[in-house]
Formats: sequence, C-alpha cells, structure tokens
Amino acid sequence: MGDAPVLDGSGLRRLATRIRMRATEMVAIQGFGYLGQALSSAEIFAVLFGGVLRIGHDRFVLSPGHYVISLYAAAAETGRIDPAKLVDYGKDGAELEAIGSERSPVADLVCGSLGQGLSGAIGFALAAELAGEDRYVFAFLSDGEMEEGQVWEAAMFASHRRLDRLVVVIDANNSQVDGPVTSVTTLEPLAEKWRAFGWRVAEVDGHDIEALRRALATRNETEGPLVVIARTDILGGLRAIPPTVDGHFIKLDPALRTAILNELEAALA
Amino acid sequence: MRESPYQTVLKPYGAALVELARRRPEVICLGADLTRQTETDLFRDEIADRFINIGMAEANMISIAGGLARAGHTVFVNTFGVFCTRRCFDQIAMSVAYPNLNVKIVGFMPGLSSPGGPSHQAIEDVALMRALPNFAVVEPADAIETKQVVAAIAERPGPVYLRLKRGEIPLIFDDDHRLDLGKAQILTGGEGANVCIVASGMMIPAALAAARTLSDNGVTAAVINVPVIKPLDGATIAAVARRSRIVITAENHTVVGGLGSAVAETLAEAGNSAPLRRIGIPDTFAEAGSREYLFAKYGLGTQNIIAAAWQGLGLNRPAPVAPVIETSPGAYAPV
Repeated sequence: MGDAPVLDGSGLRRLATRIRMRATEMVAIQGFGYLGQALSSAEIFAVLFGGVLRIGHDRFVLSPGHYVISLYAAAAETGRIDPAKLVDYGKDGAELEAIGSERSPVADLVCGSLGQGLSGAIGFALAAELAGEDRYVFAFLSDGEMEEGQVWEAAMFASHRRLDRLVVVIDANNSQVDGPVTSVTTLEPLAEKWRAFGWRVAEVDGHDIEALRRALATRNETEGPLVVIARTDILGGLRAIPPTVDGHFIKLDPALRTAILNELEAALA
Repeated sequence: MRESPYQTVLKPYGAALVELARRRPEVICLGADLTRQTETDLFRDEIADRFINIGMAEANMISIAGGLARAGHTVFVNTFGVFCTRRCFDQIAMSVAYPNLNVKIVGFMPGLSSPGGPSHQAIEDVALMRALPNFAVVEPADAIETKQVVAAIAERPGPVYLRLKRGEIPLIFDDDHRLDLGKAQILTGGEGANVCIVASGMMIPAALAAARTLSDNGVTAAVINVPVIKPLDGATIAAVARRSRIVITAENHTVVGGLGSAVAETLAEAGNSAPLRRIGIPDTFAEAGSREYLFAKYGLGTQNIIAAAWQGLGLNRPAPVAPVIETSPGAYAPV
C-alpha cells in the first residue's frame, strides 16, 4: 500500500471521526466489543497514522492487543488494509481478530498479554541503534496495563540506555475490566512517575489533535526517551452513549449503533 | 568415552558463544546480572557492543530479546534456569514461543546442582519449556557437547531452551564425539540389553556407572544419551526399549513433565514396551545443600539406578553395589 498520508489538523480530526465510525461498525457485527478503546484512542491513531509514523521505516508496537480495532480502522482509513476485510472483524476464521495476534497486519508487534509491548519496543530500538539506523520506535500503551511490573522494568531500562528514538504514547482513559483504574489501584501521579524513571514527559488532552502533534514533535529535541500521556474519555465524548455504559466492553444494540453513527456523521458534515 | 572420575574444564559455553558471535554478527548476548556465573564475561570482554546487561528484570529481558529477534538478531539470553523459565513464563510464551523467534534461552544450574535451595534450583524448567509449542529443549552432558551445542542451536531456526551445568564441566566424551540435535545416542550396550537406561545431562555419569556395575554382575544394560529432550528421538529409544526387560529414565529434574514423562509418552504410544521406572526428583521441592548430599538424599545416584533396575527385573538376590569413585579437586564423578 502507498505512502503515509500527511494530513492537516482538519484532515486529522476527520480521520479520528472516521476511525470511530469504522470501529462502531466493526463492533456492531457481534453486538459487543472493544469500542470504547477506539473511541478513546481515535485521535492518537489519527495523528500517528496520519503523518507521524513513517510506515515501513519507523516501528510501531501495539502493546494492549484489544486496541487492535483502532489499528484496523486507522489502517483501513489510510489505505494500508482493504476496508472490505473489516466486515469479518472478530468472526471465526477471520484474519482480523478481536484481540491482536501474530496475524495482525500493519504493526511491527501486536501483543495480547498486557505489559510486554514496551520491552519489545526496546528490542527494536536497541537493534536500530546497533545498526546505526534513524528509525523511531513508537509504542502505544494503555494506562491499565501499567499495573504490570514489566512496564516499569522496561521504563527504567530505556532511560538507562538513553534510547532517544523511543516514543511511548499512553491512552490514559481510566478504564479497565473491573471499572475505573482509579477504583482498582492508584497509578497517579503518572507524569511524575515517568519523570522519576528518567523520561521526558508530555501530558496532553488526548482528544486534542494539535496538542498531540505538538507533544510528538518534541521527540527529536532532547536526550532520552519520550512519553506522551494522552488523557482521554473512554466514550470519546460521545453524547449518544449513556454515561453508565461499561466503556471497557461496550454492548452495542442497533439503536445505539445508529445513534453513535448519526452523531459522528454530524461531526463530519 | 573417557573414564570416571572425569577431568573438568571451565567456561566451554562462554568460549563457544564468543566463537560463534565472531563468525555471526547478528548474534546478541543478553544477561541479567549474572555475567560471570553464566560464562558471558568472556563475551562482555570480547564483543562489548553486542553484550547487553538488562539487570535483574527477566520479564523485560525476554520481551526485549523478542524485539531484537524480530529485527533480525539471534539472541542468547543468559541467567539461572529458575529465573529464565518459571519467573517469566508468559513472556517466553507470548514474546518468544508464539512468534517462533530466534531466541536461545540459556538456563544455568539445573535441578539439584545448585546449593541455593528451592529458589535457585530449576527442578521443573524442562517440563515448562517442553510444554511450549515451537521450543526445543536441549541439555548437553559434557564440555565436548556443550562446545558443539552453541553453534547447533544457533543454526536451528526458532526458540531453544538450553540447560547447562554451571562451573566445572566434565569431559566425558572423546574429542571426536559429535552432537546431533536430531539423534539420541546409544553410549553403551544396545538393542537386546536387559536394561535400557535413558538419561540426560548431569545423570549421564551415573547412568554409565550403573550400567557398568550391572554388566559386571551379569545384567546387560544400554545407556542412551538424550541431549535433545524435545523434539525427542523416540525411534532410537523405542528400538532399545522394545527388546529390554526394564526401562529406566534418569534426570536431574522432577519426575513430572521432563525426560521421564517424554519417554513414557513415546513408549506408551509405541506399545509393547517393557515396564518403566523414573529416576528423578520425586515431585517435591528440595533444600539447600551440596550436589553430593542432594543427589544422594533425593535419589539421583548411581545406586538408585541400579536398585530400580534390579527391582524391575525381579531379581531375588541382593543388588550389586557400585564402587565408590575417589575424586580429586577439579574432577567430576557421579553420586
């Protein structure tokens, strides 16, 4: 497939909306699934796949495999996979599985078991350093998986090795299986933790395209790895979804599907 | 073969890894704060840019190895067997085994060869690693095999668990001995022997000593060396076992899930086999102590193999006693 499109702010906002629409249609196939993850991460994937990530050169690691719905949607919208494949998402025998796997296209590494992606990204970054290549390695993480100790082993090691071309983007949507992350354990203060582990930290509104772009643009400015903490809403700010819905695993009946798509289409107009 | 007590050498693995890496620039050496203990100080001193100490973070190390392997490297991961198997099993399964990557996990101090007690004794590492799809599980018996196994596992595509004795490594085989990852080797006896002893790693000296004592007392015995526990060369084992009257497996590992289990699976499926007795750690955690003390206490000695053979054959005269082998410092003899 072709080179990455480089979109302006308005193009990226439209791309984010289209990612949400694609994800809504994919989840509607089964009537339930990881829609909230796509709603919270749509702008992040739009910015990465709409110009930041040099596909085929930079590396992209998707650590929480259930976010693969966002990857599929972004890849379909930017011409990297055939959109016709999305209709089989999550079905028996489909190439596009609901939780990412070795079969998942486009990304260099898609994990399923949480907390392993940053370590894999470090492997890519070390390999690029040994080969003298100028690749960036982007690792997408979620906030919930930071309860896994391996993330912090990796964070400590990456700053020790001064892996300048390693960039982490965290979808901090405060959502995990048992409820809000804040109800399960205390990850905060997240920015201070990463800073204490030796990282450059940018903390932004994860639905603000310009803020995400500005934060990612600092990746080549100073020494050491960069983490962008993107504060997001698991329901993507959509008014069509009742706030009582379990955002981690949304049940999507035809009426809710229509309401969501109507709201998103209005945003595109 | 040489005679017991065996002379020993130091760092055959570390030297072979350096030799391999000089020839193959894609080889990377990872460690977790046990550099000298895993013989990789040689690599660190010779090829510093491809030696990476991850620190005491085995889960991180395994997943980093996966990333490096995806980028085209052949990665040797070195630490004690307990830490690179039971401590980070999900990382091995998901970051290495499932994607079928060129990661060679090297675990030192197998079974009861560590004086450090249960926290440092890898008694179930073979069982764990054998259960993972795509993995091969390899345990050389001496320094001659160890020198050859490094290049051999690098040539084999995909992940390998290599189980290595730490410290003084015995020289059991002659210099012209050849390790073949596809074959178990009949070291002594053969088809038609009364007793078929199947052993791996540190139990090879005891198996050979037991076979000699049995033969000296009128009971023919074959010893099969199994350096590759998975995939198991079931054909060689079944051929000898079929004509024997008792099959004995001997492993420095729990009797659950290791060599004994692998042989049992193979012989049961082949059918018509002689009865099987498993010598190994009897489904228990052990304790701190010397190799000599622990091997004797937990039944990993030459005499345990002889007794199992004798009982299995139903002989009513007393079992013969293996002669005690005097060892000098730096030499190695079975318990």
